[in-house]
Amino acid sequence: MTRVLEGTSHDTATSAGTMATRADEAEAPDTIFSYRELLRIDEALTMSSRETGLRFTLYIGDLGPQTRARAEELFERSGHSGHDLPESVLIAVSPGQRVVEVVTGAAAARRLPDRACALAVLSMTNAFASGDLVGGIVNGLRQLSDQAGHPRGLRTH
Amino acid sequence: MTVVETILVYVVAPLAVVAVLALLTLVPGRRKKPRWKPGQAWEHEPVWYEPHPAAGGGHGPTAAHGPAGVPGDGTTALGSSMYPEQHGERNTGQPGAPTAPHGAGVADGGHGARGSHAISAAALTAARPLGGARGTW
Repeated sequence: MTRVLEGTSHDTATSAGTMATRADEAEAPDTIFSYRELLRIDEALTMSSRETGLRFTLYIGDLGPQTRARAEELFERSGHSGHDLPESVLIAVSPGQRVVEVVTGAAAARRLPDRACALAVLSMTNAFASGDLVGGIVNGLRQLSDQAGHPRGLRTH
Repeated sequence: MTVVETILVYVVAPLAVVAVLALLTLVPGRRKKPRWKPGQAWEHEPVWYEPHPAAGGGHGPTAAHGPAGVPGDGTTALGSSMYPEQHGERNTGQPGAPTAPHGAGVADGGHGARGSHAISAAALTAARPLGGARGTW
């Protein structure tokens, strides 16, 4: 479920003779977090998405000089095929820049007003400031999904 | 009590207790990689995390309709985030579905960026206006 972004094409070995066919296998995603931490992130994302019917995605990486614009651009790419984009929520964390951005689509923003997002961001930054990336993300997701609640007609069980 | 006994009881025994406690504290606490602290540079590749696709309503392995599907296999693994996404996985189990290019998350790449163009402009405008919040620490 984790995908590593990369700047180069990852299906050819054109320049060097025997390069790995996929560059993201050499640099496994679990070098950032331990498996236990990955599991927590995974469960938080999945359960909050299932309970609310929104689609939460998480981006961790550099956001460039214009963090808001970059986050919105990433959000627009984050949809499955575009049809669920209004109901998507992107949490973009840039630990190097110490910035966290939450982007909500139009339909998601009706259930998650900016005020609620700001509160979740506040609790996330609290945890991030003490170096607890995973705990902050999990708690922020919990807060966001609590705020969004269950949509009418969604059966989770 | 002889001198040897005194030394054993009052010097060696406390030292042994301290050494055992120190071992118990230090040995399991050794982390293999240093933990990231705020203020340090973040030199990892950008990474996306997505939720698992919703299951088909039952328990157990469901038909492959998401990224966890392995080509040629009709089931998805539970806890499938352990398995890296393979090429073309999104298309398994959906023979009639349009092949949604899921390079959507691959940013800035020559090949990977094509996914971003697959999302229609109508879908983008439907998602607007975008809301959210921003925080720094």
